[in-house]
Amino acid sequence: MRRLLAAGAIAAVLAVGACSPSKPAAEGDGGASDATLTIATTTDVVNFNPLVGNSRTDYWITNLMYPHLLTIDANGNKKPYLATEFGYSDPMTGYWNLRDDMKWSDGKPVTADDVTFTINAIMRDKPAGTVLGQLSNVDRAVAVSPTRVELKLKRPDATVVGEVGFWMNVVPKHVFEPAGNVATFANNSNWVSAGPYRLTDVAKGQSYTLERVTPYPFAPDNTPTVAKIVYRVYPDVNTEILALKNGDVDLIANTLPPAQVKNLQSTSGIKVQEVPGLGYAHMTYNMTRKPLDNLKVRQALAHAVDYNAIRSVVLQGQAVSTGSSPIPPVLKDFVDPSSQEYAFDINLSKQLLQESGVGTLRPLTLIYSLQDAVTAQWVSIVKEGAAKAGITINLQGMDRNTYLAKTAEGDYDIYAGNFAIMDDPATNMALTYLPKGAINYSLVDDPQLTDLVTRATQTTEREAQKQLVQQAAKLVRDNVYDNVMYLQNLYVAHSDKWTGFVVKPSELLSVVDPESLANARRTG
Amino acid sequence: MKLAPLRPAGPPALPPVVGFAVRRLGRGLLTLWFAATVTFLLLRLLPGDPALAVANPNMTQEMRQNVLRQYGLDQPLITQYGKYLWQLLHGNLGISFTQQVPVSDVLLDRLPWTLLLTGSSLLVTVAVGIPLGVLAATHPRGWLDRLVQVGGVVGQSLFVPSVGIFLLFVLGLQLHWLPIGGAYSPGVYGAEWYADVAAHLVLPCLSLTLVQLGSYVLTLRSTLIESLGEDYCVLARSKGLPNRKVVWKHALRNALLPTTTLVGLQLGFLVGGAVLTETVFAYPGIGRGIYEAVTQLDYPVLQGAFVVLAAAVVIANVLTDLAYGLLDPRVRTA
Repeated sequence: MRRLLAAGAIAAVLAVGACSPSKPAAEGDGGASDATLTIATTTDVVNFNPLVGNSRTDYWITNLMYPHLLTIDANGNKKPYLATEFGYSDPMTGYWNLRDDMKWSDGKPVTADDVTFTINAIMRDKPAGTVLGQLSNVDRAVAVSPTRVELKLKRPDATVVGEVGFWMNVVPKHVFEPAGNVATFANNSNWVSAGPYRLTDVAKGQSYTLERVTPYPFAPDNTPTVAKIVYRVYPDVNTEILALKNGDVDLIANTLPPAQVKNLQSTSGIKVQEVPGLGYAHMTYNMTRKPLDNLKVRQALAHAVDYNAIRSVVLQGQAVSTGSSPIPPVLKDFVDPSSQEYAFDINLSKQLLQESGVGTLRPLTLIYSLQDAVTAQWVSIVKEGAAKAGITINLQGMDRNTYLAKTAEGDYDIYAGNFAIMDDPATNMALTYLPKGAINYSLVDDPQLTDLVTRATQTTEREAQKQLVQQAAKLVRDNVYDNVMYLQNLYVAHSDKWTGFVVKPSELLSVVDPESLANARRTG
Repeated sequence: MKLAPLRPAGPPALPPVVGFAVRRLGRGLLTLWFAATVTFLLLRLLPGDPALAVANPNMTQEMRQNVLRQYGLDQPLITQYGKYLWQLLHGNLGISFTQQVPVSDVLLDRLPWTLLLTGSSLLVTVAVGIPLGVLAATHPRGWLDRLVQVGGVVGQSLFVPSVGIFLLFVLGLQLHWLPIGGAYSPGVYGAEWYADVAAHLVLPCLSLTLVQLGSYVLTLRSTLIESLGEDYCVLARSKGLPNRKVVWKHALRNALLPTTTLVGLQLGFLVGGAVLTETVFAYPGIGRGIYEAVTQLDYPVLQGAFVVLAAAVVIANVLTDLAYGLLDPRVRTA
């Protein structure tokens, strides 16, 4: 038996030896610094194809290779990236004008052909990424010149240029076209990148090494400051934090759990950086089920929640109120400062319940995902508050896949969860409040709301769109079509030996956006 | 002229050991088919579907159906099952839904690390467990025996993530003796790479060994005490055989039978059950791969992984049975 075990161990060592990486050939570069920035993440890369990939790490790594047409600034406004100008030449035609100084790492220029290929291939092959749903009103994309792309629409859509510009990675046509179907292309070797970095070495489950690409027009002297970026995978956040404290990694890309923020803020050698959130935590009441179709019942439920307790105890003060509005405060052009949060008032809640005329309420079922640690904590506060008002809520925590299945089937009374990124209020309200919206979890069907949201998605006039969005948000708040609890402030941590990061809203961009990493530098 | 020896009529009888091995292999193959079928069906009974788990939650019903069609999940269950078995018979584990690469590639990226971790942990367990078990059994109720018993029970009740974080904090962060997480450091090549792999292996291996050593030592201790009281050991002693020989040559051979079974069972558990260790230590093994595939409902990866795990358990059990046969001749002819 011992000989057998020894033989097994030797076989394992030999097998592991086959995993031994070979040293890459040295490459000359006239860059600014030879430093390596090591970044920790909790999730592994699932797919290297940016048109398919959907984990955060997929997004962070492919973002460093495949440019977006647009990005957003600190206030959540869309701003040029690969595109220099964007908009609509008429209600049925959108456009992006492109910069002419970006190149793929194999020397070929990034042109309008790459952009049109990407859009048309997504519509043809239907990969399971984010962008396909945004292209529902698009007929085709046309390269009018090497630096101008026009989007021919089937019907007016004032959001598609901004949304596709922000969410879609442009891929190199000369690499993806020969691969055939873009929905099944793994793109797992010989990467070609437009910068600021290109993937050169993969140790699956462990680390991803990227080397700088020049020229990259958003870095000083067109050269990303750091020579190499290494993403290392630590599935356990505690191990990840130990690695940061030990100096094994320089930055933690994923946002920190609220309980860890204060601890790291007081740790010497570590800097905690605040990142504005673009999403919110919310509860929706299933309006196709009685008695939740009754406005007074929904109001009674909304006034029985101690929002301050949730923000101060569960979130440890790392969250702000949105005034019960679905517009996050960071979107300064759209936010309505007059929106007031539902007051936590048990007596008012009891009174509303009495006025509702529904008599004794049946117990209500609230579903949430057990993988969402923060929500799993605050639902107990919701339950306690409701109990004080005489409403029984049964909490049903479940694994994420069951939760998604129940959500898709509308099998719940109350849904508790998060809206991750609201970068465009009109688009997101269409998804959330139109009768056939993909994430209309309250299953609301209000003709007035539908009209406001539809008009907001169709008008290209910014001021008119703002008015419509604000009216829709007020309707949502007043009718409790959605109970928006808070907007969480996000925090990332990095070694104080590093500086120059550019902060952008949301966990997806935060300080790991390409522009940020291309400008980061070591201080010592 | 030399006559050829006479051969009995009919097919030659197989040697008992070969017959024994063939029977065990046959059972193993049946077990594999059963495991593959149960896994296939169980996955499809799980709530939700891979389109919901993989794709953007903002997708419409039409987009969801399109994803299911891409994965072949729109076909009748019996068709899916037939295709799966046909692929399996041809050694094809399918294509990962999420990674879009062959499942065999996904598993081969991970399996060597799990084999290294669990193999080395099992070796350490046996290498440390046998002397400890023998010492405890030959000094019953002595201080060492009591220490082994207490340590064994404590070891069995340890929780891997807690042990892991404690070891990482003390030996990694505070003392800087060993690296924190991963199987090796990026940018290390050649001979240095092997030393780096060994350094990264120490903590996860220690953590896994600590939690499994207890049951091994306690089982060995109790069976050895029993063996030492048997007539053949009393006879051996009365014949003047040195105690060392009685223990190590006669009693231990019999006492090893149940512990060999335990090792076989642990091997199967270790390959799949190392998920917590691999998570805490950021070790890129198959347990973590399975966890990720479960969250993404990546059926082909899960089916492939469970067939590989079932094969590992079957092989471990066949080897255990064969080892049993070598240790106890009665088993060969049973």
